[in-house]
Amino acid sequence: MKTGILSFIASVSMIALVTGCSKEPLNNLTDDESRIYITNHDSTVNFKSFHTFSIADSVAIVNNNQPGGKDQTAFDVQFISALKAAMVQQGYTLVDKGSSPDLALAVTVISNDYSGIISYNDYGGYYGDYWDPYYWGYPGYSYYYPTYYGVYNVNETALAVDMFDLKDAATTNQLKNVWTALIRGEGIFNTDKSTTQVQTLFNQSAYLKIN
Amino acid sequence: MVIGLVSISTVKGQKGITKVEVNYSANFPTSSFKDLVNDPSFRGIDLKIMHNINDKMSVGLTTGFQDFYQKYPRAVYKLDDGSEVSAVVSNSVQTVPLLATFHYNFSPAQRLQPFAGVGVGGNMVLYRQFLGEFSDSKNKFAFQAQPKIGVYFPFREGGPTGLTLSGYYNIIPFKYNGTTNLNSFGVSLGISFPTRSY
Repeated sequence: MKTGILSFIASVSMIALVTGCSKEPLNNLTDDESRIYITNHDSTVNFKSFHTFSIADSVAIVNNNQPGGKDQTAFDVQFISALKAAMVQQGYTLVDKGSSPDLALAVTVISNDYSGIISYNDYGGYYGDYWDPYYWGYPGYSYYYPTYYGVYNVNETALAVDMFDLKDAATTNQLKNVWTALIRGEGIFNTDKSTTQVQTLFNQSAYLKIN
Repeated sequence: MVIGLVSISTVKGQKGITKVEVNYSANFPTSSFKDLVNDPSFRGIDLKIMHNINDKMSVGLTTGFQDFYQKYPRAVYKLDDGSEVSAVVSNSVQTVPLLATFHYNFSPAQRLQPFAGVGVGGNMVLYRQFLGEFSDSKNKFAFQAQPKIGVYFPFREGGPTGLTLSGYYNIIPFKYNGTTNLNSFGVSLGISFPTRSY
């Protein structure tokens, strides 16, 4: 019997040790690692045919698919500045929007909220299954719940950059999007990350350059 | 240390004995699985309950748990729609087998008892791939076959309690996102003990 007990204890210890050591991916990510950078472009466009660009000096806000005005936070200013520097580095010339630029760039902050409501009556009815009122010393009693609600809210935010072809607008009668970029993840609005994030977008868009 | 303290009662034969086996296991991905997770997993356990139908043959059930994980450095991935995605990719796979198991003991009642076996059944596969913090998941009860060889070291000659050292190969077809299987080579070491005193 002693053998069985000791073996059982050793076995349970082994199970606890192993299951406790499982790796949860989300717990092993830094903020930098949590971010993803997605870019796409119009493959029919030759980016060497553009020479000048202009960029909007503020950021468009889109909340839950509705226009939310414009903003110009410290981060926005830094991010736009980093975009300008990156475009210049790729060989494009920054001009005023009144000087007929070939390309227009705009930044958008996309924010979506998801809300939910938990009614305590929805789960409170199960209390008796876990702790019968007898547990508290009141056998035969039942639980009573006023109408309480718990509201939870999940917010997801992304940062988008769009590039439009102004050079051919008169011909096509539209401002065609030729490049788009999206950043999602943790810490995307940290001011000290703006340059790194912009550089990542341009590094993975090798076609986006003149020189 | 616990094992060293164990005292054993000797039994002459193993027929009719039901034993529980608890093993620590390490698994090494092979084949297509290596494209997902190249690192070995040292986070695993397998549990067996085996009934000796005679001195040489036993049948039973195997279950357990193995946790595979690998995080790859940031890289740019080109997708079919022409987009580029820069991400740190983390692959996480947990496997929980449920196998009907057969063991053949070549040398019962010896100090070292080599055996061979096979398990056939299913495996509950929990697969998640993270691009950064965003995940895609696929859970599937997949077929599994598990040929195995090993050796049983009874604490006393012919005793029902002892250590078991095994090597095995997991064959798990799993078609998803370019992966065709989750095959792996495994080794396990554990304790085997009867469900009651003999």
